[in-house]
Amino acid sequence: MTFFTVVIRGLLRRPLRTGFTLAGISIGIAAVVALVGMARGFQKGWQLGLKARGTDIVVNNRTGGLTPKPFDASICDQIAKLPKIAATCNILVEITSVEDSDLMILSGREWGSFCWNNLELVSGRMPQDATEEAAVLGQTAADVLKKKVGDPIQIETKQLQVVGIVKGGAIVEDGSVILSLPLLQMILGTPNQINAIDVRVTPSTSQEQIRQLTQQIEQQFPEVRALTLSEHLSHSEGFRLVQAMSWGTSLLAIVVGVLGVMNTMLMSVFERTHEISVLLALGWSRRRIMRMILDEAAMLGLLGGIVGVALGVIGVKILGASPAIRGLLKPDLSIALLTLSVLIAMAVGIISGLYPAWRSSRLAPSRALQSG
Amino acid sequence: MTPPSASALLEAKALTREFDEGQVKALRGVDFSINDGDFVAIVGPSGCGKSTLLQLLGALDRPTSGTLLYRGQSLPDLPNPAAYRAHEVGFIFQAFHLLPTFTAVENVQIPMFETDRSASERRERAVELLKLVGLQPRLDHFPSKLSGGERQRVAIARSLANEPSLLLADEPTGNLDSENAHAILDLIIRLQQAQGRTMVLVTHDPTIAERAQRILRMKDGRIVSDDKP
Repeated sequence: MTFFTVVIRGLLRRPLRTGFTLAGISIGIAAVVALVGMARGFQKGWQLGLKARGTDIVVNNRTGGLTPKPFDASICDQIAKLPKIAATCNILVEITSVEDSDLMILSGREWGSFCWNNLELVSGRMPQDATEEAAVLGQTAADVLKKKVGDPIQIETKQLQVVGIVKGGAIVEDGSVILSLPLLQMILGTPNQINAIDVRVTPSTSQEQIRQLTQQIEQQFPEVRALTLSEHLSHSEGFRLVQAMSWGTSLLAIVVGVLGVMNTMLMSVFERTHEISVLLALGWSRRRIMRMILDEAAMLGLLGGIVGVALGVIGVKILGASPAIRGLLKPDLSIALLTLSVLIAMAVGIISGLYPAWRSSRLAPSRALQSG
Repeated sequence: MTPPSASALLEAKALTREFDEGQVKALRGVDFSINDGDFVAIVGPSGCGKSTLLQLLGALDRPTSGTLLYRGQSLPDLPNPAAYRAHEVGFIFQAFHLLPTFTAVENVQIPMFETDRSASERRERAVELLKLVGLQPRLDHFPSKLSGGERQRVAIARSLANEPSLLLADEPTGNLDSENAHAILDLIIRLQQAQGRTMVLVTHDPTIAERAQRILRMKDGRIVSDDKP
């Protein structure tokens, strides 16, 4: 018999209670995996979307949320005149409900700009001009909205026609309803307003020069913020909010997990008072008793973590396929996140085991001689 | 008073143990000396302090005053009483105190975690000890599947696990019927004598005490007689 057997027997003493505790940790860890995985997937999706469009710099309003506050489109013309700038694209993005879908990306793009170039037609055609009352749908958006070429689509108060289905090379692009900028401005009642300018630099520009360029833009136009692609995502309040929410909720799940394991381990220690006294009387050191309880708690955490990660992955797959989310994000379940989740679960176990372990080691061996 | 002998394993002088801030005096000044290889029975009515004395001998508890020496070393001042219990002492309890989630052979291995033996060596020794107490066919039975006599045999095997010098038995046959009680007592005495261990056995049963080489009678926290039958 190894010490590991001793630990496992301790857990199997009350299989039902151990099972319920495991379920508790698993659900907590599943929540961590799901929430963080979704948040990261969301962020990665946008990043890939920008990359697919060939964007080097994003210009936003200073208050930039996820769909930042609109500003006047005239700035774009002035930015375009700066050196090393190859092209600009005015964009108005809105996340809103469209027909049966609660969360749909509406992407209004400057007609004729590079932001249309990455869109590859799967069926139908592109809009004829900036004023045609038409929209193209990313593949996933078409799927979610159950639309095909020729179908009408209701955007706010306006009915447009789906003229084409496109592939955009990124999940955000595939999940968007894309239409010409003036049309979206008209529908939303915000003429001349945009909330982002995608900027493409000339091919030979270095990363350092791109950074300098962003500073120049900010100096010249104090009302906006210019960020490189990677800065854009880490600075965006929207993403930060999503991240904070996912980690905040996760933290709550972890705290609940700690309390659950601690309760179980404490009950187990109280219940085994006599047995622990016998172990002490037989010569077990207090350290060995503490290690037994701590190992049991860590084992609960580890098993809970493994089951939780599995549940989380399955849960995320199910959620990701649901109409509300499909197209908006593809969960990012990296090995690092899954490993981290298991480690968090083990840490939960160990932290929760500290107090019960200390309690158990304080028991008096003389209790063994009393009847039990 | 006898002078301390060179072969004294245990020596107590003016040993007292009080509880509840002196309200309860379990031991009121006890003196004795026990030699290596002795079989000593401590008898007396319940509440006379015999179990308290056994706890002090096993370093499960500390005296309020007086001295208690094991091979000349003060037991209450041992830096590591757990190590003393693990390596020097084997306990046999009235209520057996086997761990219910471990089989017979596993229960015997429990004290061996405090030694350097490997897992396979632990098992090997446990099997050997259970053979010695006649329980080979019951190795993998859990305590709940064993009779009272069988449980006490497992507990005896466990007490010998780390080859202790001192066996401390607290009413070892108290929970057994007379037939089993005799068999267990015979076994304990046989093992004690064959291996030359020292044994201190607490009992209230005079017929059991008569088997010992020496009987310490206690009353109200004092030793009232020290007989060698």
